[in-house]
Formats: sequence, structure tokens, C-alpha cells
Amino acid sequence: MTSHLFRLELRLLVRERAAWVLLALFAAALGYGLWNGGRVAGRQREAAAAIAQDTEAFQAQVRQHLGQQAIDPKAIAGRGTMAVLPPAPLPLLATGQSDLSPGHEAVVLWRLADSGDTRSELENPSHLLAGRFDLAFVLVWLFPLFLLALVYDLMAGDRESGTLRLALAQGVTPWRWMARRALARSLPMLILAALATLTAGFFGGSGGTGTRLVLALAVVLAYGLFWVALAIAVNAVARSAASAATSLGAAWVLLVLVAPTLLNVAVETLYPTPSRPELVAAGRKASGEAEKRGGELLNSFYRDHPELAPPGQQADFAAQHLTVQTEVGRAVEPVRQKFDEQLARQQTAVGQWRFLSPAIAMHEALTDLAGTGYWRHRAFREQVGGLRQAVSAFFTPRIHKRESITMSDFDQLPRFEFREEPAGVWMGRVLASLAGMLALAGALGVWAWRSLRPGRLGLLSA
Amino acid sequence: MIVAIARKEFLDAWRDGRFRIAAAVVVVLLGVALLLAWQQVGRARAGRAAAAALERENWLNQGEKNSHSAGHYGVYVFKPLAPLSVFDRGLEPFVGTTVFLEAHRQNQAAFLPAQDATAMRRFGELTAATGLQLLAPLLVILLTFGALAGERERGTLRQVLSLGVRPRDLVLGKALGLGAALAALLLPVALFGAVALSKLPGGDAGGSWVRFAWLGGAYALYLAAILGVCLAVSAVASTARAALATLLVCWAANAVIAPRLASDFAQRLLPTPKLVDFEAAMNKAVQEGIDGHNPRNDRLQAFAQETLKKHGKTRIEELPFNFNGLVMLESERMAGEVFDHHFGKLWNRLEAQDRTVTWTGLVAPLLGLRSTSMALAGTDFTHHRHFSVAAEQHRRNFVRVLNEDMMNTPANAGHHGGTAGRALLEKLPAFRYDPPPPAHALRAATPGLVVLCLWAVGAWTALLLVAPRLKPN
Repeated sequence: MTSHLFRLELRLLVRERAAWVLLALFAAALGYGLWNGGRVAGRQREAAAAIAQDTEAFQAQVRQHLGQQAIDPKAIAGRGTMAVLPPAPLPLLATGQSDLSPGHEAVVLWRLADSGDTRSELENPSHLLAGRFDLAFVLVWLFPLFLLALVYDLMAGDRESGTLRLALAQGVTPWRWMARRALARSLPMLILAALATLTAGFFGGSGGTGTRLVLALAVVLAYGLFWVALAIAVNAVARSAASAATSLGAAWVLLVLVAPTLLNVAVETLYPTPSRPELVAAGRKASGEAEKRGGELLNSFYRDHPELAPPGQQADFAAQHLTVQTEVGRAVEPVRQKFDEQLARQQTAVGQWRFLSPAIAMHEALTDLAGTGYWRHRAFREQVGGLRQAVSAFFTPRIHKRESITMSDFDQLPRFEFREEPAGVWMGRVLASLAGMLALAGALGVWAWRSLRPGRLGLLSA
Repeated sequence: MIVAIARKEFLDAWRDGRFRIAAAVVVVLLGVALLLAWQQVGRARAGRAAAAALERENWLNQGEKNSHSAGHYGVYVFKPLAPLSVFDRGLEPFVGTTVFLEAHRQNQAAFLPAQDATAMRRFGELTAATGLQLLAPLLVILLTFGALAGERERGTLRQVLSLGVRPRDLVLGKALGLGAALAALLLPVALFGAVALSKLPGGDAGGSWVRFAWLGGAYALYLAAILGVCLAVSAVASTARAALATLLVCWAANAVIAPRLASDFAQRLLPTPKLVDFEAAMNKAVQEGIDGHNPRNDRLQAFAQETLKKHGKTRIEELPFNFNGLVMLESERMAGEVFDHHFGKLWNRLEAQDRTVTWTGLVAPLLGLRSTSMALAGTDFTHHRHFSVAAEQHRRNFVRVLNEDMMNTPANAGHHGGTAGRALLEKLPAFRYDPPPPAHALRAATPGLVVLCLWAVGAWTALLLVAPRLKPN
């Protein structure tokens, strides 16, 4: 009986012209999202490759020089060491923060304490404001809309027209009837969404992305399941198809459109970040003071590190600059750290409250899985901080002692290796999101099941 | 007759429970958005003002150094937030807040507030503007989808028409009544916004009140256009359900899909150059001239010859001033031409992209409104450009004063001029930014306003055209 119902509903769906139009539109949106995300990812891959090539050419050049004679560290310090965030594992899935947060940064010895430009690409700000039409956009925003357009009327319409009595007279329970219908009507959309997710993995992914892909698939299906469960729950109580549609539309607006912006406002009000301009000005103040005390600072530095003092004690300009810079870094560090901690607190709060709306949980999970999320970019920024220290540790003693660099020194020159976040950490976040969505869907399902108990049949078909 | 119908619709709307709940939600959201934005904008403005004051101190207390070193020490300037960003934050989160002004280089504004925010920022921001752009149309849909189609379904339309009411009067009366219901809801919000603006320190900068009035007009046009479209759809739809479905699809296309599609389209039509290419081209032009056939050294040599000829001398040492300073002045002038050319081209490109998006507003009115709203609020790209140009102007003045000082100190005081003391540093005024007058905003808003007018006129013409053919069933 139940599989018969399922087949019947599928057959009905096949004959609906509107359903075909919706499916075609959804497929087109998915395709466009994939293609668009692919273009962004391609550009980022190209940029990373160009930098790698550039760095290699420079190193070859230096090695050639070193083959003939040792060189002054100051000659290569100005060039800087490039830190590049490797291309994301599943970039087609979500553009995430990758168009906003810089994907590469040059660490230059002379500018270690500067807060320089924070962008690595020119972007029209309106384009950043509008956001990308990528797969994540289609899945988070449009997928529920298309899904609801197909399943908004699972029972309410039949109740309205009186055919519900007829249907239930066949001896099927209302819950089973509605669940089979919901499954049949949502199946094509779910399959399309799953196919698009798989495509993102097969065409855009780098190696070793199997787990990510499986999890992405699970997250997408769980998100779909949540919306279907919501449609079932609303239909269990709605008096008419129009009121079911209105309620579901309102739920979409509240969960997808309003909840994330409210959360954003809430975390920014709860954990306001200190003003960035004030941070910049405070840094300048520290550097001004340090610069004025430059000679004095250097002397005290050599008192602490006599082993680094050059033979004649006569400090040169570079050494003085480095000492001043270290002092500036020390002075600004507490302010910078406070700034950073506040940002982390904001994002942690977002993580804790992401179950407020499955759209937030879904967005966080997709960007985490794609490797374009907040935390991976934050890890990059932090590791660039580590590279700054390494660069300073490499050059500073050599410049103070006025030592030249030889081939074996050059091999020890710090290079940037990005360490991915441990799989357990991001997986923990994704699995929590997944569990949250499933729990919400489950709660809605149980509630709908209880309202559809056979004991309430009379009420239902009235 | 029209008035009687309008009064009945007005009362009906307010008696509708669904509308009351939805209206309450929207009004509360708008109020919360205004209040929090007022607080945030106030804090951000104070923060930037404090930073500017501190930076001025830094500049004055940088100690004794030669004037060219002072040029390299440079100065940071901070963009004051537009007062009306309380209402529409616009592009503010996605443009830099800070420009470093130094000798030889024109830098772009750095530090985007959105980079110092959580990923939630990418879902869009809750501001009064986004509330009115996205949620208010949903209220209009809720109010109107059944206005005519519902009456037709229930059979009351046949009764009303049989009373001899002219269909046009009926439609206009309904439009008037529902419009009044909406206005009764939103006018207090506008009043609240006005109070918030008046309570913001320095809130009247850049002609805020004129801008505020125009903003009111632009949003009224937008909502009027949507009201017209909704009633027209309700007039021709066979059932209320069909009208609702059509309108919701239109809303989603307008509010959710169009902004991203249009922005992508504009990027594809008029691509943004890559940062590396942009910088490489600019550096090359500084060295080789804008046309690439006039190397910098040749030009400076010719300049030296010319200067000597003008002063009737044969050797640079004989000149009555420090020639290095004059060379600095001349090379800044030459570089300035290059910067103007390249940044001008880049910014024109970005503005052209934005205009393209605005014109796609002919299909999706939100895009026309959004650019109008940002322009009037002072948070669009043209305003950011205005600030960037003012900052660059300040940079050129301050570098010029320093170079002139270098020119007027004897050459034997040092290669880069003598020591610049506090007197010289004080001679350089602090950066003061005056936001552009409302006329600038109106110029920027014109395409969007044209789009909105076309939509309003088109929607109401369509409504008046379908009204006489109103079918009772």
C-alpha cells in the first residue's frame, strides 16, 4: 500500500508541468552556481601558482649568486617571504571568506610591525556586498525555496477540498500518507542537490577529499530533510493550502533572511571589537616613541644580548630599525591580541548559536567543508604571525652581527608551510551542525507525528 | 466613492490578524536595526575621531628629522562614517577605513570592517534599509494578494460591481486604503529614524536632512511601485492562491536572486583588473610615462636643463635653492598625473559596474532602489571615491609643503634638506574631510531614481489598464 502510494505520488508529480519547470530552474541554478564557484576557485589557484613560480625564480637567482659568493642578508630581506594559503579542498562548494580574506601575504623583515594593506585582490565592494552566486548560495538560500514550492501542500489542500476524507478512507494512516507524499515530492530536488554536491567534489576537489564530500552530502540531505519536516509539521495543522504556503514562506524569511542578520547584530553588540583605526593610531604612537628612543633601545638591547653586538659596537641603520620594530611589536601586541580575541569570541558565539537557524548551521558547515570558512582563514592569519617570528629570528642576529649569508644558511631561510586545521576539529564542528539539523528535523517530525495520530483523525479531516 | 472604499480597506487591513503580526515583526525589526545601528555608528565615529586626534599628536611629536623623512613617516587618515549609515550601511563594511599618506605613493584605503567581522556578515546586514527593501515588500504582498482575487473567489466582487461601482474607482480605492495602512505603519519608523539622526553628534554633516527627505521619497516610490504591481496581479489572477504564488516568486527573484546575478553580470561585462596587473601598470607608467615612451630619467634630465636655462646658470650647485627639493616636487607632479590616470580608470570602471547593476533594476526594482539608497545615505562607491580623492589631495599638499621646505633649505644642510622642526609640522594642517553636498548624492542617485520612477509609472499604468477589465469571475 505504502509503496503504491509513493509510486502514485511520483506519477502525479511527473504530470505536473510546474514541477518540471521548478526542477529545471533548480538544476540551472545549481549548474550556474558550480560554474561560477569554479571561476573564482580557478582565479585563486592561478594566483597561488603565479606566486609559487615567482618565489622559485627568485630563489634560483639567489642560489646562483650564492654559488659565487656569500651575500649580505639585507640584500634579500627586503624581498620578503610569501605566505600562501593553499587552494581550498572543495572550493566549488562555497566561496566563503575567500573573496574577502587575503589568501597570500608577503612577510617583509623591515615591515614586521606594520599593519599594512589587508587585501590581496581588487574587488568591487558592491560585489562583496551582494555576495557570490555560488553553490553554497543555491543550497542555503534557494534549495529550501524550491523544495517548499513542491511540498508546501501535502495535506492542507486536500483538507480544504474535502478529498482528505476520501484518501484516508483507504485505510492508510495520515502520517504514512503524508510521509510518503513528502518523500516522493521532495526526492527529485534532493537528488539534484546531492548530484551537484558530488560534482563539486569530483571537478573542483584536490586529493583526499572523500570524507569531506561524504559529510557535505550528509549535510545537504539533512538540511533538505529539515525543510521537508517543517512542511509536514505545518501541513499537519494548516487549514488551507494558502495558509500553509504563507506560514512556510514566513519561516523561510525568518530562518534564512532574518535570523543570521540578527545573530550578526547580537554578537557585534555583545562583543564589540575595538576600533581598527584606533589600533592603527596606537601602533603609530608606539613606533614614534620607540623611534625617538632608537639609540637608547639599541644600547639596552646589546646590554641584554652582548653576543649579537657587532665588532665595532657602532650600530648601523638596519640594526636600529629592527630593534625599534621589536619594541613596537611588543608595545602593540596586547592591543592587537585583545582585538583578535574579541573577534574569536564573536565567531565562537556564532558557532554556539548556529542552531538558531539551520541556514546558519548549513552555511558554517559548507564553508568548513569547502575549506573557505572563517576558521581556516584565521588559522592562516595566525600562522603568518608565526612566519613573521621565524623571519625575524633568521635575519635579526645575522644583521646585528653583520654576518653574510651562505648557501647552507639560505637553505634554513624560513618557508611557509600551511598546517591544515586538525581533521578532528573541523569535523567536530561539521558533525555538530549535522546533528543539530537532524535533531531539529526529528523534533518537527515527532511533533507532526503526534498531531497526526489516528486518534485525532476526526479532527484532521474535518 | 474612492474615499469610502479606501476607508473600508484601511480598516480591513488593520483588523487582519496576520497583517498585524507581520507588521509588528517588521516594525520591531526596523526599530531594533535603527537603534543598534545608531549605537554602532556613534561608537565607530567616535573611534575614528579619537584615532584621528591621536594620529595628529603622533605627527606633531615625531621629533626632529629632515623634511623628506617626515614625508616617509607619513600620516594616516581615517574615513568619517556618514551619519546616514545609521539608516543604510551600504558599502561601508566593504571599503577601507584607513588611508596611509606618504611621499611618492598613492595608497588605497585599507582595513575593511567586514574583514574584522564574523562570517555572518555575508548573510547581509540587518539595517533599516534592508528591512524596507526586503521585508516591507512582503508586507505589501500580504496586504494585497487577496484584495481583488480574493473578492472574486468569494463572489463579493460580483456584488460590489453590481452596485454600480466603477471598477477603476474600486481599484484606486483599494490602492489608496492599503497604501494608507502601510504608510500608517512606516511613518512612525521614519520619525524614529529622524530622531535617531538628530541625536547623532555631527549628524547634519553633508546635508543629511536633504538626503533624508529624498530617501523618504525614493522608498515611497519603491513601495508604491510594488503596491501597483501587487494589485495588478491580484486583479488578473484567477485565485488568491495563484496571485500569492506569482507575487512570492517575483519577490524571491527581485530580493534574493537578482542582486547576485546582476553583480556577476556587471563583473563579466566590465571585468575588474587584477591587483598585480594594476600595480605593475602603474609602476611602469611612473618609470616610463603614461604613454610608455618617456622614461622618467630623460624627463628629469630635461627638467634640469630647463631649470638651469631659466635661471641662467650652468651648474646645479649654482642654483639659488636646493635643487633636490625641486626635483622631488617635479617627480611628485609627474607621479600624480600617473596616479590620477590609473586610479581614475579603475574607479571609473567600478562606477560603471555599479551603474550597470542599477540599470538592471529595470528588471528587478530592488537594484534601482539599493543604489539610490546608498547614494543618498552617502555610503555608495561615489562617496568612497570622494573621500579617497580628498585624502589624496591632502597627501599632495602635505608632500608639496615638505618638498618646498627642502627646496628652500641650503643644499649643504644635507641631501634631503635640513631638519624639520615642530614649526614645519604644525604648518601642515590636520586632515579635515567635508562630505559632499546633497547635489553629489542626487547626481549619483539619478539612474536609480529614474529606474524607480519608471517602475512606479509602469506599475500604476498597468493597474489602471487592467482595472476597467476587472472580471467578476
